[in-house]
Amino acid sequence: MFVEPVYSSLITLLIIVVACAELCDAVTVVDVYRLVQYDLGGVPLGSRLAALNHHAGSSLYLSSAGAAADLSRTVLILPVRELNLTFIRDYIGQRKPLGGLLLLLPPVFSPQHSDSGGGADQDSAKDLVKEVLIEVERLLIHANIPYPVYFGFEDEAVHAMLGDVKKNDITGQPATATTGGYKLVVAAPEPRKVASPAIINIQGWLPGLKADGDSNQLPTIAIVASYDTFGAAPALSVGSDSNGSGVVALLEIARLFSILYSNPKTRGRYNLLFVLTSGGPYNYNGTHKWLRSMDQRLRETIDYAICLNSIGSSSNELWLHVSKPPENAYIKQIFEGFSTVSEELGLKVGLKHKKINISNPRESQMLSFICLALRTGYVPICMVSWEHEQFSRLRVTAATLSELSVAPDFLESTGGLSDNRNFINEASISRSVKLVAESLARHIYGQQGKSIDIFADHSSLSINPSYIRSWLEFLSTTPRVAPFLSKNDPLIVALKKELADHTVEVNVQQELLDGMFTFYDSTSGRLHIYQVASVTFDLILLLVLASYLIVLFSFLVILTRGLDDLISLFRRPSSRKVKTA
Amino acid sequence: MTMFHFLNCAILTFGPHAVYYSATPLSEYDTLGTSIKAAVVYLVTALVKLVCLATFLKVSESDSFDPYQELLKALIGFVDVAGLYFALTQLTHRNISQNHKFQAVGLGWAFADSVLHRLAPLWVGARGLEFTWDFVLQGLEANANLVLCLSLAALGSLIWLRKNKPKTLIPIIYACAGIVATMPSITSYLKRGLGWHFPKVVGFELFTSLVMAFISWQLFTACQRPSN
Repeated sequence: MFVEPVYSSLITLLIIVVACAELCDAVTVVDVYRLVQYDLGGVPLGSRLAALNHHAGSSLYLSSAGAAADLSRTVLILPVRELNLTFIRDYIGQRKPLGGLLLLLPPVFSPQHSDSGGGADQDSAKDLVKEVLIEVERLLIHANIPYPVYFGFEDEAVHAMLGDVKKNDITGQPATATTGGYKLVVAAPEPRKVASPAIINIQGWLPGLKADGDSNQLPTIAIVASYDTFGAAPALSVGSDSNGSGVVALLEIARLFSILYSNPKTRGRYNLLFVLTSGGPYNYNGTHKWLRSMDQRLRETIDYAICLNSIGSSSNELWLHVSKPPENAYIKQIFEGFSTVSEELGLKVGLKHKKINISNPRESQMLSFICLALRTGYVPICMVSWEHEQFSRLRVTAATLSELSVAPDFLESTGGLSDNRNFINEASISRSVKLVAESLARHIYGQQGKSIDIFADHSSLSINPSYIRSWLEFLSTTPRVAPFLSKNDPLIVALKKELADHTVEVNVQQELLDGMFTFYDSTSGRLHIYQVASVTFDLILLLVLASYLIVLFSFLVILTRGLDDLISLFRRPSSRKVKTA
Repeated sequence: MTMFHFLNCAILTFGPHAVYYSATPLSEYDTLGTSIKAAVVYLVTALVKLVCLATFLKVSESDSFDPYQELLKALIGFVDVAGLYFALTQLTHRNISQNHKFQAVGLGWAFADSVLHRLAPLWVGARGLEFTWDFVLQGLEANANLVLCLSLAALGSLIWLRKNKPKTLIPIIYACAGIVATMPSITSYLKRGLGWHFPKVVGFELFTSLVMAFISWQLFTACQRPSN
C-alpha cells in the first residue's frame, strides 16, 4: 500500500538526478554536414574520413605562427565570408596535413533559412560569397582529402567560440592539452559504401485523342527534367535552380495539360510523356537507361523531346540547345514556335548548336578516368553535356531549354551549396512554364502563327504561382543526391503521386547507377564543442585545494586541541629518536 | 584530464569532512559510529521529505518563485529538524560528551547530505570533456553546508540536550536555529526570486555559514559557563 508512492517518488528522484546530470553537461551542439566522399573509376575523391576529435584553430594561428605551423592535430575553422581562396588552393593542392576542416557558411545558404530580403549591398555581398563558394566547392569535389571536412552554419554559439579561438591564436600558442581552448568532436562511424546506388526514373503518360478508325500510332512529345543533385555537401544539395526549377516547371506543365486532356473535346492528337529522370550529374545516366529500356516502336513515335534544365534565375534570356544543325526542318519548327511565344512574353530565346563530341577538351579529366575504366574493364560511355544529347544519340529530335548559355563542366551546376531558395526567382519559372506550355500547345493544336493565348492569365488554364511556390519550397528543403534515395523515399513517392494525379499512367523504373561511381554514406553529423581546461589549470587547482585542506586541518587542531598539539604532531618522530638514543 | 578534474572536485567536496574528523578530538574518542548513525538517520529523513514533496508539491513549468510552493517546501524542510532531533536525542550513543556528540552528529549529517546531493552530479558531469566552474562552486557549497550543519547540530543540542540555560539566551538560540533551519528556502528564494547567479549564492552561503557558526559557538560557550 505504501510501496507504490515510494516507488514513484524514487523514480521521480532518479529522473530529477538524471535531468540535473543532463543540464550539467551544457555543451554546444551544432549540426554539420560532411563533404561528399566518392570514388570515380576507382580514384578516391572527396573527404575520406568522418570522425573528428581535435582542438580548434583559426586562420589567425597560421599567420602568427608562420609556415612551420603543424596543424595535423588541429581543426581549422574557416568562415567562407572571410575565406582566402589562394590559401585554400595551396592547402588542398599541396595536400598539407590537417586535423580537420570546418567551413562556416552564412545562414542565407541554409535550406531552412527564408530570405527576409535585403538591400542592394546585401545582395552584392551574397553574390560575392556565392562566387567564392562555387570555387571552393569545385576545389573540394575534385581533390582527395585525407581528413574530415565539414560544413556548418554561422550562429551565435559558433561565433562566440570562433572569437575566443582567434583571441588565443593571436598569441601564437597552439590549442593543445596543456593550454586549454576548445575541442571539436564529431562521433561518426567509419563511412561505408552505399550498397546499391539506385537511379529511379518516373514517367507519366498522357495519351492523346485517337480518331475513330485510325490505326496509326499517335505522335508523342516528351518533356524531360532530371530531379537529382550533386554537391559538395550531399545533405545540403537541394539544387533549387539545378534542377528544382525544371522539375517544378514539368509538374506545372503536366497539370495544365492534364486539365486540357481531361475533356475529350480539348484532347490533342499527340501523346504526352512527362519524365523525371535521375542520374543527371552522372552524365545523364538515368535518361540513357530509360531510353535504352523503352520500347523501340514507342521511341520512334517521339516527335521531339524538350529537356528542362535550370530555368529559375532572373535573367530575361533563355537558350535552346540542340545537337542537330539549325537548318534541320524540325529544329527550325521548334525554335520558331518558341521564338513567337517568347516575343509575346518579353523573353529572349537564342539557339545554340553543339555537336556530340567525345573528344571535348573540357572533359579531359573524365577522359583520364575513362582510360582507367578501360583498364578496369568497364565499357567507356559517351560523354554528354546536355540531357538532349542522350536522345540525339538514338536519333530522337531533342532540345534543352536552359538559362545557361554554355554547357556546364562535369559535376558543375548540379545543385551545389550555393544553389538554394534565396537565389531563385519564381516569376522566371512561371514565365518559362508559359513559354514551353504555350509553344507546345500551339504545336499540338495546330495554332502556330495565330495570335492566341491558350494559358491566359485569370483563365482556368492560367499558371498557378502558388503551386509553383509550394513545390519549389518542398524541393528546396529536400536534398536529392541519387545514391542516397531509395524507391520508398518520401520525395520519390511524392513525385510519383503528383504525376499520377496529372497523368493517366505512371511507371517507375529502378536501375543501378553506373559502376564507375561509388558513394559513401555518413553525410551529416553533430558537432560537439567542448571548452576544455588545460592540465596546468588542474594542477594549480590541486595545489590550491591541498593547501586549503592543510590550512583547515591546522586551524581545527589549533582551535580544538591547542597550538602545542599541532607542533607536537610534527615533533613526535624526532622525540622518539631522542628516546631510543 | 577530466578524471583529474573529478578528483579535484571530489577532494573539495568530501575532503573537509575527513579533515574535520581527523583534526578535532573526534578521532581520539572514536565517534565514527555516531557519525554513521547520524548519516543513516539523514537518509531516512531525506526519503520521508521526498515522499512529502512528491505528494504535496505540484510541478511548476516556469522557474519563477512561487511563495506558496516555497512555504510548503520550508515546512517540509522542518522534517530535517525533526530528523536531527531524533539523531541527537533518541539514538543511543556511547558515553561521549555533549561537546563531541553534536559535532559527530553534525559531521555525519553533512557528509550524508553531500554524498546524496552532490556525488551523482559530480560523477556524471565532472568527468566530461567540457569544463565548467559549477562543480568547484558545488564543492564550496558543500563546505558551507558542513559549517551550517555543525551550527544547527550545536543549536539543536543546546535546545534539546542542555537543561539549564540562561533565560536571556533562549530566544536567541531559537531564532538562530530558525534561521539556520530555513537556509535552504532562503537560498532558493535568492536563486529564483532575485535571480542571483550561482557564484553569488555560494558566496552568500559561505558568509552566512561562517557568521552563524561564530554566533552558535559563542552561544555554546556562553551556555557552558554556568555548568562549569
